[in-house]
Amino acid sequence: MTLDRRQFIKLASGSLVYGFALACSDDPRVDVGQPAKETTVPKKRLISHAEIYFVDYTEWFFIHSDGTVTVHTGRIELGQGLKTVISNVVSQGLDIPPDAIEIVMGDTARCPDDGPTEGSSATRIVGWGHWSACARIREDLQRRAAEALRCPADQLTYSGSVISRRGKPEQRVSISELVNDDGTVRLATVDYHEARKHNPPYVDRKTAAVNARAIVTGSLQYTGDLFAGQCRYGAYLVPPYHVHLSTLEAVDLEAARRVPGVVAAQRSWRSAFVVADRYTTVQKGLEAMNPVWRAPQRSKTLDREVEIRAGASLVKTVEDAGDPAAGLAQSAVTLSETYITQYASQTPIETETAIARDEDGQLVVWASTQAPFKARPQIAERTGVPAEQVRVISMPVGGGFGVKVGTTAPAEAAEFARAAGGTVKHVYGREYQFVCLARYKEAVLADITSGVGPDGKLVVRTLDLHQDEGFGSAGTYKIPNVSTRLFNTDMPARHATMRGTSFVQTGFAVESHTDMLAEAAGLDPVAFRRLNLFTPSFGPLLDACCEMLGYGQVELPPDHGIGFAICHHGGRQLGAVGAEVSVNRSSGVVRVERLAGAFDIGVVVNINTLTANTNGAMIWGLGFALFEEVALDGHTAYTRGFDAYRIPRFSDVPPIQLAFFNNETIDQMPRGCGELPVIPTVGAISNAVYRAIGVRFYELPLTPERVLGALVNQSPGA
Amino acid sequence: MKKKVRLNVNGTVHTVSVDVEEPLLWVLRDVLGLTGTKFGCGEGSCGACAVLIDDKVYQSCVLAAGDVAAGERIVTIEGLGSGDELSALQSAFIEHTAFGCGYCTPGMIITATALLKENPNPTPRQIVDFMNDNLCRCASYPSIVKAIESAAGKSPKGGGRDPR
Repeated sequence: MTLDRRQFIKLASGSLVYGFALACSDDPRVDVGQPAKETTVPKKRLISHAEIYFVDYTEWFFIHSDGTVTVHTGRIELGQGLKTVISNVVSQGLDIPPDAIEIVMGDTARCPDDGPTEGSSATRIVGWGHWSACARIREDLQRRAAEALRCPADQLTYSGSVISRRGKPEQRVSISELVNDDGTVRLATVDYHEARKHNPPYVDRKTAAVNARAIVTGSLQYTGDLFAGQCRYGAYLVPPYHVHLSTLEAVDLEAARRVPGVVAAQRSWRSAFVVADRYTTVQKGLEAMNPVWRAPQRSKTLDREVEIRAGASLVKTVEDAGDPAAGLAQSAVTLSETYITQYASQTPIETETAIARDEDGQLVVWASTQAPFKARPQIAERTGVPAEQVRVISMPVGGGFGVKVGTTAPAEAAEFARAAGGTVKHVYGREYQFVCLARYKEAVLADITSGVGPDGKLVVRTLDLHQDEGFGSAGTYKIPNVSTRLFNTDMPARHATMRGTSFVQTGFAVESHTDMLAEAAGLDPVAFRRLNLFTPSFGPLLDACCEMLGYGQVELPPDHGIGFAICHHGGRQLGAVGAEVSVNRSSGVVRVERLAGAFDIGVVVNINTLTANTNGAMIWGLGFALFEEVALDGHTAYTRGFDAYRIPRFSDVPPIQLAFFNNETIDQMPRGCGELPVIPTVGAISNAVYRAIGVRFYELPLTPERVLGALVNQSPGA
Repeated sequence: MKKKVRLNVNGTVHTVSVDVEEPLLWVLRDVLGLTGTKFGCGEGSCGACAVLIDDKVYQSCVLAAGDVAAGERIVTIEGLGSGDELSALQSAFIEHTAFGCGYCTPGMIITATALLKENPNPTPRQIVDFMNDNLCRCASYPSIVKAIESAAGKSPKGGGRDPR
């Protein structure tokens, strides 16, 4: 069932296997299973950091005797275009056609554990890891060819997976002919940086997405599309309360079992489940259970700000520089504010889905997961089957946005298969998707205080972030005296990672505050930012956004405003967004009229998938700023469907202009852009609303009710 | 209640024994094996399960299989284009990378197919109005609108094979 790499390589006979390579000391690699953790390195130092962390993908690279290639990654495709990125870099790196490349993803029995697909790191780490692998392999092949053709390596040219002697084309060897007798080759002598000097640089050939044809014909198989008509279905009860705080007191399992087609009904975990022959039969079984739940013990009413403060405990100081108290004393202008955000839901259109099959005590689980290797121990814990007897195969994911990093669907499906036998499919219903584990993008409360000197330069900033997530940074500006502290909270809803993580909430607070500081200091918000940039690389990004929106060049209609925000993500990716909004004073509706985004993200591997992603991420920022919110209190969440949870639609989307830069060069590599554009879009929209109507919002989202309420309170003439 | 139902799907007539209350979506997927039509919400509010019935858009997750009349022509994503040839919309979706994960795409293309049948040259405003109940969480909306604009007016290749 589970093959180790050595066994696997044995199976791939007739192939050239780049296995067991030892890295040179300056090779860009870390051990498999220990990808670089951004959290352990201070973010600001990473901006001009030249280190690259890769798994050594040469160890998972197969060149078959027919000239085709198979590559492996434990990461997965969820619409971000990773498969296209790998196809592009391997095709170009080895000069072979895309259809000669097989990409195996997210299978715990066949792939390396190169980390979960999260943190906007897949293109950077997996994509460029394969580019690096190809460069080293190509260099290695050239050396082998030089031996085979008995000529100096510098007289060889490489084209179309054939290596030939310059001026003597009859002296040639194809890469598949360089397979060793034993099928393996050592790569110990090839260094990436050396190889890179001899190989041509990457050029974006603007290809279509790899899965495009399968997507538009409906033939791409997502998890739920497997075993159609050949498996059972299972599901848990939809809890009326936050499930982790409530108790299932009684449930009529016998009644569920009497429903024709039901094959199993059991209590488990904090709830109960049904397995049946058809999807619709499962619902009937659950309905027959007549569950009686006891409500959570904690108070039903929930004042977010009061309870966040009441439950706050200091976790760590993430930034600590200079002397903030002295900085405040020196400042000409100081400003203290508090911002708070809403709960939000990732809401992929494909709900969490998994299929499990029990094969004589060994479990095979197909899953819509961003983290197949994380799912394995969860399945083991839930079923008692040892993790090494569990194989998880990630299928193309129909949107994840963070919720499928810690998805419990694989463990639940495995539990169903153990209970009922056979193959069992678990497709979360939409309501279950919203409420199942009470996991949301968390409400973040930010207390922020800053001081500005008489020259308009930031002197000090203190930022206290109340959130359960472990990230936090005030590091977009150059400030000599800084304190950033993280406080955990004790809220009824639990934190789940969601695109942009808490950088989105922090970015809203910091960038709204930055505009208010600029005003207090008597400066234009863009000019104030320019004075205080953490790195000059932000300058061209702001210029581009101003130019795309004609900032300062055109007169805006009444109740229109333009706002800006900047951010970095993980220290490696820089972004600026400008937004023009209009506010309808009688309805309270905020409309985003135009968006402009400029991003410094390194080498562009594929502009088509990058543009699709970036547009989408900016629209995510729009949704978070204007309407996405999960309504909840101490007992339950009330937002349980698309009727109540408004995500952006066609009619919400303004014209979007984009510009990409590669000024903040970290070697020649992509730096990722999956989450970055969400972050400044939120602040830019909020700042634009302030410029349009003169009202500062300290809370999101900017719903018509909230905007109208603020306008009513606005004093006449303000 | 189980009953024999005649369904004309993509030009083929199937006689299937189903619970008449079972949504068409699950019959298409689990009885006929046509998995291009996706489950998104089960409440008719996201468009992932959209199918054409006599050229009109229906959300198959809330349409009981027993409510489809025997003579009505159901077209799913598998029924667009002809043979290996993609419909103009399908090609345009590829050309404009009008998707992220692709999960909502079949419903988008089905809905846009109905739009172009009704209005072969829609304005961007008309496209937005017609498509507005279809949700895409990757938010590929700008390129979907472009893809539909570019497919509009081109000679229709497919849009559902004529079953007669």
